[in-house]
Amino acid sequence: MGMVVSKRGVLGKKHIRMLEKIKESLEKLNEKIEIIIELQKHGGREIQPLPETPLDVMTLLSMPDHLRKTAMTVCRLGRATAEEVAQQTHRARAVESAYLNQLVIMGYLKKERKGRKAYFYVEKENQG
Amino acid sequence: MGKVIAVHSYKGGTGKTVLSINLAAALVKHGKKICLMDLDFRAPSLSTLLKIEKADYWLNDYLNGICGIDNVLIDLTERIRDGGKLFVGLANPTTEAIRDISAKDRKWEMRALGRLLSLRNTLLNDKGFDYLIFDTSPGLQYSSINAIVSADLAIVASTLDKSDVEGTKRMLKELYDLFEKKTRIVTNKVLYGENIKSVKDVRSQMEELYGVPILGVIPCFCDVSRAKGTLIFVEDKPDHPFTKIMDEIATELEKMKE
Repeated sequence: MGMVVSKRGVLGKKHIRMLEKIKESLEKLNEKIEIIIELQKHGGREIQPLPETPLDVMTLLSMPDHLRKTAMTVCRLGRATAEEVAQQTHRARAVESAYLNQLVIMGYLKKERKGRKAYFYVEKENQG
Repeated sequence: MGKVIAVHSYKGGTGKTVLSINLAAALVKHGKKICLMDLDFRAPSLSTLLKIEKADYWLNDYLNGICGIDNVLIDLTERIRDGGKLFVGLANPTTEAIRDISAKDRKWEMRALGRLLSLRNTLLNDKGFDYLIFDTSPGLQYSSINAIVSADLAIVASTLDKSDVEGTKRMLKELYDLFEKKTRIVTNKVLYGENIKSVKDVRSQMEELYGVPILGVIPCFCDVSRAKGTLIFVEDKPDHPFTKIMDEIATELEKMKE
């Protein structure tokens, strides 16, 4: 902590704000790149998220381990940002963001933007 | 915060239901507030064994979204003297209900999972239950996997039957591990013989075989079979060795919770 305080002292509030903005922009950029990577994996074809697909336990069982971990965490949390999922899985936020977006493209999760944050959730529209 | 326990097995007839009822009773005897739920919708049995002929609402109704969990739970505290509290949620045993639930699609199962997961909040956090115990269907079925996914701990009841042991081994690797579920084995209906002479033998052999800790070893008690499931041994036969084992398992579970 001491290091951070001293750095802040040197940098000043204005610089910190600037760095935060840069970080934010990089994260946004990163998210876009992840989607582009996904698109390329599908032969560059324009892919629309698949029609809503139920995220049931048999589907979870058949998923690759890395995606199952992310999907299970969203199931448990109900609705979560990449940051919140990362806290649970102890993986990097950017990694979770990539997996979450992949799950959205596969039709298992929905994504909703609220201000600067993106929330991921299992479609509940049809829950009676 | 409380814990959710799913009692599961590879094959039928391993003693899941007797184990679930008696574990629930043993924990109640320890002063805990317990909710025991029959999630074996294909072959419901708690209503018969606990002699409850009619319920206003069943767990089927809760999973169908037509009632809250409060409407389903039945207070059975008076069935266990001196202890905490016991509530049960029953599966509807009518053929029509079994048929209805067998025909549900993936989407319904997904919503059912959501409802089971939400019990953690409503029952453990809001209503102060110490444990939820799910009695499940054997094998790989939607309802049992939903229960396992919702649980903190899976207790797998297994006999020494070869097919049961092999199936249990497979489930450990291909089911519980994949969901990163904490798992414990209860070896039930043990008949001692040449290779297995004591509880210690069973423990060491099974622990090596399964690679997970053994929570309990239960010999094959004729008294338990003779009771046809109608007795809650922990309550009705307090001095029986079966009751002693249940008490030990309950103590172990409490230690795990800490």
